[in-house]
Amino acid sequence: MDKLARPLDADRRNYRTLAIVTAFILLIPVWARAIPGDVLHMDIVNIMVLAGIYACVVVGLNLLVGYAGQISLGHAAFFGIGAYTTAILCTRVHGFPTWLGVLAGAALSGAIGWLVGKPVLRLKGHYLAMATLGLGEIAFILFQQLKGLTGGTVGIMDIPPLSIFGLKFDTDLKLYFLVWVIVMALMLLSINLIRTRVGRGLRALHSSEVAADAMGVNTSSYKVQVFVLSAAFAGLGGALFAHFQKYINPESFVIAISIMFITMVVVGGMGNIWGGLIGVLLLTFLPQVIQALPQWIPGLPSGLQSFSNYELVLYGLLLILFMMFLPKGVADGLGRAADFGEIRARHLRDRRNAKRLEGR
Amino acid sequence: MGDRKQVRLLWGAAALVAVVVGFTLIYKGSTGLQWILSGLTVGSIYALVAMGFSVIYSSTRVINFAQGEFTMLGGMLMFTLCTRGGLPLWLGFLLTVGIVTLLGAGFERAAIHPLKDQSVITVIIVTIGLAIFIRAVAKWIWGTDPVKVASFTGDKPLHFFGASIVPQSLWVFGLTLLAVVLVFAFFNRTLLGKGMRAAADNPDAASLVGVSASTSSLVAWAIAAAVGAAAGAVIAPINFAAYDAGAMLGLKGFSAAVLGGLGSAPGAVVGGLVLGVLEMITAGFAPSGYKDAVAFLILILVLLIRPQGLLGKPADVKV
Amino acid sequence: MMAAQTLLEIRNITKQFGGLAALKDVSFDVTAGEIKAMIGPNGAGKTTMFDVLTGILSPTAGEVSLKGQSIIGLRPDEITAMGMIRTFQTIQLFEGMTALENVMVGCHCRTRSGFISSGLRLPASRREEKQIKEKAMAVLKDVGLHTRANEIGTNLPYGQQRLLELARALASEPDIILLDEPAAGLNQYETGELATLLVRFRERGLTILIVEHDMGLVMQISDEIVVLDYGEIIARGAPQDVQNDPRVIEAYLGIEA
Repeated sequence: MDKLARPLDADRRNYRTLAIVTAFILLIPVWARAIPGDVLHMDIVNIMVLAGIYACVVVGLNLLVGYAGQISLGHAAFFGIGAYTTAILCTRVHGFPTWLGVLAGAALSGAIGWLVGKPVLRLKGHYLAMATLGLGEIAFILFQQLKGLTGGTVGIMDIPPLSIFGLKFDTDLKLYFLVWVIVMALMLLSINLIRTRVGRGLRALHSSEVAADAMGVNTSSYKVQVFVLSAAFAGLGGALFAHFQKYINPESFVIAISIMFITMVVVGGMGNIWGGLIGVLLLTFLPQVIQALPQWIPGLPSGLQSFSNYELVLYGLLLILFMMFLPKGVADGLGRAADFGEIRARHLRDRRNAKRLEGR
Repeated sequence: MGDRKQVRLLWGAAALVAVVVGFTLIYKGSTGLQWILSGLTVGSIYALVAMGFSVIYSSTRVINFAQGEFTMLGGMLMFTLCTRGGLPLWLGFLLTVGIVTLLGAGFERAAIHPLKDQSVITVIIVTIGLAIFIRAVAKWIWGTDPVKVASFTGDKPLHFFGASIVPQSLWVFGLTLLAVVLVFAFFNRTLLGKGMRAAADNPDAASLVGVSASTSSLVAWAIAAAVGAAAGAVIAPINFAAYDAGAMLGLKGFSAAVLGGLGSAPGAVVGGLVLGVLEMITAGFAPSGYKDAVAFLILILVLLIRPQGLLGKPADVKV
Repeated sequence: MMAAQTLLEIRNITKQFGGLAALKDVSFDVTAGEIKAMIGPNGAGKTTMFDVLTGILSPTAGEVSLKGQSIIGLRPDEITAMGMIRTFQTIQLFEGMTALENVMVGCHCRTRSGFISSGLRLPASRREEKQIKEKAMAVLKDVGLHTRANEIGTNLPYGQQRLLELARALASEPDIILLDEPAAGLNQYETGELATLLVRFRERGLTILIVEHDMGLVMQISDEIVVLDYGEIIARGAPQDVQNDPRVIEAYLGIEA
């Protein structure tokens, strides 16, 4: 089987895919609402809003982990900083524009990403992983302890819904479109980055930091910049999260959430621009599907009925199995399946041509 | 950083710890002593967890995110075997350690060994997956409530300059001492142990003396699981084991390992004890929620300033 | 023809690793437009010298100036931007990137588009991308690899990978290129092609400092040879003189002519 030369991104293909995916996503609410609720047993639009919010984080994290080859086990911290920033501003300052709160959340996350990123990104591999984990934990503790600012374990309530220039995003459906338009914009930014000088620099530093340095890439600066970018994206997601849930507390920003983000990147496919999205959708819907299973298949044993019993077991097992058999993620698996299909098709076509020539 | 500056840093760190401890004793008297004794007790557990990290790291350069779960299982199994099952404590202890050791070795063969050529992130995620899996199964089996295990030699507190400790604490100290001696002797005096340390950096040379990277990894995981389980078994009477105890223990044990020097058994003990004491003192002086932050602050500071920790060698660190 | 100017000045470079001196008080110059070879037995300090010259290691003592400017303490990417670039002893092509993309990274130091400009596809970025692509293609054509432009770099046959690394370095438009054993693993034909290529580039004004074990290549193309042994220079001069120098012969214990 010949090794196909598959460059990591084929320019036009990615933009076209983006257009198709955008169209598809914008149509989801149409058919989702068409299916009666007692067949589906899940509110797809609501779940998709959350998925979109997580996607904001994961798109940035994929650039950091998948392309630049770094790691962060503490990204829930930036998610939380974004959420708390907009929550505090919008509930404490009377009439504070919510869209400004979102921007402030993203900006502050990015700024803190720069502050902690500069020293921490000197580390590599496990050490970087543990340092980011430590930072995430410290952030969580601060969210809990700075009661005057964050409301402590009680959190912040009555966060106003988002409104941009008078347009109020107070329903799931409206938020759905806003969030996914934002996600697609972030995807567009990512595709642009990856196919240009910056993207090559990041991929180069992932492959061989020494060689990238030697070729003129300022690797330490690039690592920090992509970290800041991913922090800002995460902050943006967090701020949207605050206006979606209308209530936040530290529990939404525990280390398990950081692990979830990383899992989405890895399972979806690192180093593949669509990996993040695939991972988000897979891991957001999987628990929902598992929860809905007993209602779809009436005969399941009672032990399996309770969702919290085996969701985590499955989750852990999923991580282990994925890393063992599909370490490059679903996107790579799909890519390889597509390659396989293409080779088979070529094969069959060649056979047919050969037969035709013989018959002549 | 120059060597002289490093030595000064170490003395500075030691002095700082001494000052903090001294201040506590002077200012808070016997209450302070109580904090320190509690700190040494919990610090010994951190030390044992840290030893587990160190053993696996020094043999395979892998960080096992599920190390804390081995300790959790130690406590839970003691509950099932002794409290529920009625087995004598010594038998329960041996069986607990044995079962968890088999588990650790089994996981190594099933999921770690096949991934030896994969990237750092892949292995990290696998051990995280294991941690989640073990925790979830534990929740399934034992539920969420903490469980009680009987103390090995009773509960009558021993008094000591106005502070008191329970006899179980002595068991904890004793186990820690035994463990560090055994682990140190193993890695520095036996051929297998020395070979395992070599295998991490130079697998070819190690296999020449009969220690393959594969053997190394397997034995390391078995030892780490055994030490972890023993720790969990011995702290269970004091700390009330529960299904989610492993998470924090793992993180703090790792901080202790990094502080003492990843790959050093005595370092694990030093790191663990220092962390435990500093934690208890912080909890005494500051609002208790900040106690947990101590471990992570230390972790980050050490990684940034002296990644090889107190007793580690710079060459050990590929930072 | 322009007067020969000193491009690279190396003065009293010493590099200690703990108790071991990898380089001891090494000094030599590289003149613009020359091909200078640095030879010596394994462990003589040649790659260490390259690491010092390109900012990967900082010397324990000594000075290096490129075009009159000191480069000690600069980052590798800064030195590359100043006009000195290197290739590696073991091939360090970027994985998952095509031959073209690899060479395009070589253009990095001559371009400027950052995260914002690239992310938003601003006109400046689009223009630069076009320029980079054209430049990279031109370089590939120059070395004869343009037919392989869209293949993954690390999938190419070994000899072409070496050539690709060279092309990548050339894309940075350097004044001087440091080649670390570029002929390692090449057969006689490929080595001959490499020699022709290097001489052609020298004629265009490129200065070359080459570390090599293939004496045939060294003798063929070098203007001057510097011989290192145990971190010290033990001989220097024209190829014929060095070849016959008894100290050099002794250091190698049988030097291949």
